[in-house]
Amino acid sequence: MIAIEDLHKRYKTEHGPGKWVLQGITLTIPAKVNVGLIGANGAGKSTLLRIIGGVDHPNKGRVERHCRLSWPMGQGGLEPTLTGRQNAKFVCRVHGHEADLAERLAFIQSFSELAESFDEPVSTYSSGMRSRLQFALSLAFDFDIYISDEVTAAGDAAFRKKAVAAFKAMTHRAGLIMVAHDEGTLKQFCQAGIFLYQGKAQWFDAVDEALKAYKDTM
Amino acid sequence: MRSPLAVSFAVWRAIFLREALDRLFDMRMAWFWLLAEPVLHIGFIAFLFIVIRMRAVGNADVLVWIIVGMLAFFLFRRTAVQVTYAVDSSKSLFTYRQVKPFDPAIARAVLESFLMAIVSVIILSVAALLGHDVMPHDPLLALVAAFGLWLFGLGYGLVASVLMELVPEMEHVLKIVMLPLYLISGVVWPLATVPQPWRDLLMINPIAHGLELVRMGFFSYYHAVPGVSMVYLLVWAVVALFLGLLLYRRFAVQLVMR
Repeated sequence: MIAIEDLHKRYKTEHGPGKWVLQGITLTIPAKVNVGLIGANGAGKSTLLRIIGGVDHPNKGRVERHCRLSWPMGQGGLEPTLTGRQNAKFVCRVHGHEADLAERLAFIQSFSELAESFDEPVSTYSSGMRSRLQFALSLAFDFDIYISDEVTAAGDAAFRKKAVAAFKAMTHRAGLIMVAHDEGTLKQFCQAGIFLYQGKAQWFDAVDEALKAYKDTM
Repeated sequence: MRSPLAVSFAVWRAIFLREALDRLFDMRMAWFWLLAEPVLHIGFIAFLFIVIRMRAVGNADVLVWIIVGMLAFFLFRRTAVQVTYAVDSSKSLFTYRQVKPFDPAIARAVLESFLMAIVSVIILSVAALLGHDVMPHDPLLALVAAFGLWLFGLGYGLVASVLMELVPEMEHVLKIVMLPLYLISGVVWPLATVPQPWRDLLMINPIAHGLELVRMGFFSYYHAVPGVSMVYLLVWAVVALFLGLLLYRRFAVQLVMR
């Protein structure tokens, strides 16, 4: 379960603090429910997702995570001077998988299909290879809730097919909070929806209702 | 669920190993330059002293005097600089929620102490092979003084990184401060020869105390600057450390917030 309490967020701009992107969001997101974040461009979907994931921090308010929550899928930080394997080792260690390190590394290497490039510095990777590695990293750990920001569009056609299958399997065993601009994707993966409008959020038990509310404001 | 302490230790270990790779193999022969920088400094200053036919400083072998002072100073400076830029150069790590702003700072400081220990042993061994007496007369005193310098470097780095984040112009100010530190800390000339009242002014600097203390640990009949005090160094170090931790506690989120 994730409890969000009175969340406020604005960014620094060239001319001092900008306008409020999120303004007083209070939500409780239960585990094992797949939720889609819905809203217009710039409504704060990605911002909210990043704050939930702990990558960014709110100006006011708090997020309480009572479960194992992933980082935004496919956006894990990579150090360009280190190899794919060294980066993967780092992430495994941070997540406390010192004991079964070899097993996780084997999974990451095979899923990302990097083969021997796994031992090359990340700075030499193409953008496709990079996102394949980042996606494999996200799937290598068991989280209770995954968060995803337009992740299914990674790699070439063959990899994308495999990624979507893995993604679907994952959504059956764990919860998911996702941002997607495609209505079909949202309906395919999500049961519930959160509609963001003018810095406020509204929870809908059915994703269709959230999409309807979004269309009514257009 | 892991305990918070277990998470912290796992993160420190992971960052330590990763930083070590970066520090030693980042560019071609990166490990060589770790050693070459102090060796070149020592070589240059030692050459100057030999040219003016100076054999002893305050009753100590001049080469060992330079080596010990230089290594102690480098221990402080490298730790301070590495910790200052710890948060800045680890931005990509904060995607992983387990990593807190303080973690790269402590990992880098510990790594720097390891690297300087190795560098020191190598340089002192070479000096021993050249026929100089490098065995410390009071190893414990030298170690505690080195620890004090390291701790002060960590504290200084923590304070500096927060100041730089809050006021970006501070980076220039701090660089300007760092530059004369090399000269006024008594790395290249003995502060004991400075006349009063200037000597008392120079001895406000805790690094000068640290350097003299490390040298006192090495030479049995060394004429150190009067009034050198371990307590003075350690008080500065602990105060800087706690001030740094306090600033991190207060401004940690600002350090990583966009």
